[in-house]
Amino acid sequence: MEPIVETKNLRVEFRAQNSGQARKVAVKDLNLSIRAGEVFGFLGPNGAGKTTTMNVLLGFVNATSGAAFLFGVDVREPIARQRIGYLPELTYYYKFLTAEELLRFYARIFGIPRAEADRRIEQLLKLVELDSARKRPIKTYSKGMQQRVGLAQALINNPDLLILDEPTSGLDPLGRMKVREIIQRLKNEGKTVFFSSHELGEVETVCDRVAIINQGELKVEGRVADLVEKHQANLEKIFLNIIGYQPQLSS
Amino acid sequence: MNTVLALTGVVIKEMYRRKDFYVLFVLTAVITLLMGSVSFFHDTRIVRYVKEIALLLIWVSALVIAVGTTARQIPAERENRTIFPLLAKPVTRAQVILGKFAGCWLACGLALIVFYLFFGVVSGSREHSWPLLNYFQAFWLQWVMLGIVVAFVLLGSVFFSAPSSNATISFVVVLGILLLGRYLNQVALQQPEPLRSIVYGLYFLIPHLEWYDVRDLIVYDQGLVGWLDCGLATLYAAVYAALLLFGAWLVFRRKALNL
Amino acid sequence: MKKLGPYLILLLLLAACFSLATILQPRASGWSKRAQSDNVLKILFGDGRRLFANHFFVQADVSFHSGYYPSIFDQARAPKDTRHLTAKEGEPAAEEHERQMNFLGPPRDWIERFGRHFIITDHTHLAGNNEREILPWLKLSAELDPQKIETYTVAAYWLRDLGKVKEAEAFLREGLLNNPDSPEILFELGRLYYENYHDPARARNVWDLGLRRWSEQEAAGKNPDLFPLEQIAVNLSRLEEQEGNFARAIQLLEIAKRASPNPEALQKQIDELKQKLDTRALPASPGSR
Repeated sequence: MEPIVETKNLRVEFRAQNSGQARKVAVKDLNLSIRAGEVFGFLGPNGAGKTTTMNVLLGFVNATSGAAFLFGVDVREPIARQRIGYLPELTYYYKFLTAEELLRFYARIFGIPRAEADRRIEQLLKLVELDSARKRPIKTYSKGMQQRVGLAQALINNPDLLILDEPTSGLDPLGRMKVREIIQRLKNEGKTVFFSSHELGEVETVCDRVAIINQGELKVEGRVADLVEKHQANLEKIFLNIIGYQPQLSS
Repeated sequence: MNTVLALTGVVIKEMYRRKDFYVLFVLTAVITLLMGSVSFFHDTRIVRYVKEIALLLIWVSALVIAVGTTARQIPAERENRTIFPLLAKPVTRAQVILGKFAGCWLACGLALIVFYLFFGVVSGSREHSWPLLNYFQAFWLQWVMLGIVVAFVLLGSVFFSAPSSNATISFVVVLGILLLGRYLNQVALQQPEPLRSIVYGLYFLIPHLEWYDVRDLIVYDQGLVGWLDCGLATLYAAVYAALLLFGAWLVFRRKALNL
Repeated sequence: MKKLGPYLILLLLLAACFSLATILQPRASGWSKRAQSDNVLKILFGDGRRLFANHFFVQADVSFHSGYYPSIFDQARAPKDTRHLTAKEGEPAAEEHERQMNFLGPPRDWIERFGRHFIITDHTHLAGNNEREILPWLKLSAELDPQKIETYTVAAYWLRDLGKVKEAEAFLREGLLNNPDSPEILFELGRLYYENYHDPARARNVWDLGLRRWSEQEAAGKNPDLFPLEQIAVNLSRLEEQEGNFARAIQLLEIAKRASPNPEALQKQIDELKQKLDTRALPASPGSR
């Protein structure tokens, strides 16, 4: 079966900030393959290349070489994004719109008929518990509420692939639990979830497979259970080992 | 098309939810009514100065709305990071450019309708006549001109990340063309070569926005502009706007947007 | 004490400000005329108001021509004056004006040719009481620059033409208040009394005053414009002639001759008056009793 997300020797280089330096390689020959129905965790320290990889998958940035595909379609084609939902880490939406207007706007972009859009908006606002605030402009929302609006807009087109960038960042424990529940529910529905996170405990709980990237290179990839068994350590220790962290010994 | 229309709707919503339009309209209305209430030498039949002031204010306000609204569209999307969830949908960059253009241009059109309605009421109350076709022509030509302005500012917004820089430069260029565009050929002829060729080249290159300023025809109760001339001017504006939008798309499609 | 500290400092500062104000106030009155003005526009614009005043005066001219007006580039090639605003058809000023307003010429290229469909290209003047449309601009110009004499004279001319004699008089008196030595305004005022109020006595008084003011300016070395001298002298001489004061009329025409671009015509009138004077001086013939 064709992978839902696939990268082939993906390489992304940027011009260096200082003219004296060579070009900066953000992603080096990355080969990833994510199958349908998986919950896939994409891990790495800050500056590892996770965000750059996501930028390429979402079409924000062009790859220097190599290729990336969503549902077998080159990511440079807008149609590749017809069946995906995306939740950015920093959730900013049009502040002058209400939650309902925002969802209707995105529904229209997906070409969802009006009646169907109304039904989904109703459902999603209840799911993310924003029903009572649906008519208020987003600028009056708290951070948590904005995060929930983000989740709702990511689900408006009933996506087959959900790309989440730090989905629980800034959320309280209750909020995090709700996100985990949603991810689990989507998995049960056969959807694919691809997310990056620093919350390794959460990743260990939710993900089927993980990939750890460091300095633009894929260091390890596999099922969480398999990795834990192989390295005889939890995911956090495996992560720290891979990135070369040496704990300071107390005197 | 749906995507473009959806983006258009968002831009229009933004315009009428911001204060800019209302402030400008109130300012225009207050100044016009104030000037209209002044009695000069106890003559209540004087009307042209009110029309002149009102139309000047309408032009200034429309330009402020057009440039101000357009200059912040793409930079604000990038700065507020709303461009990311948008482009993560099946939306092309061309659709973003078109949607923003259509939204800003239609928003200008709506604002102009309100302004011209007000103008019609004020001038009609003094003149007791409503040359509707003349007013419609003035409105149409101004709106079509604003299409060029919006496209120009949109092109600037893909270069300048700061809306204020883009707005300032756009204002300077637009005002320069409106005030001096008609006379550049005269200026060119007074210069020695090679400056003469450069200025004359510029004269042919710039969009002649001054054609669309028919305020004098309204103020001084002149006849209609020929409809064929009106149509040709509309076509000219459409071509120029299309060229500028194409340029904007060429630049925008290559821009890396980093999260 | 610590709590009172900030308040004591504030009090001290207030006292210092008050003292400074009382010391500086007598000196401040000599710093700038602008600070003394009670006119909002003068305070807002300062001396820049004269630029605006001039713009509004030109706007009145533009309005007079219903929008057909040379640009600054056209005017740079062929400067234009504003005497036509009060000139009658057939007068030299009017003919010169016709020549100046022929600035458009054939279009130089297709852009200019097409552009002319959207502008006014006919030279017309307001008529049929529509001249009232220039009045607001003149009023604004006068507000901004009360020392611009031409504003008062042009406005008064048209106000009289529109039948608003009282308003014309009031406006001229306002101009006189701001420009007490202006022969031009005095001339217009005299004309108003003579032509509209049919009050030759008042007209004479005002024109005499105008002549005296002009002479005073000349004596003071200010080189005043000769045109108002000619205007006052000629009109006053006509008045005197109608009153039968031929000697005085001749005297005035001699003064006007000095300022006139056409002294021969005035000399002809002087000769005619001298003849009339001589005829009156001759004793009656025996057969006439």
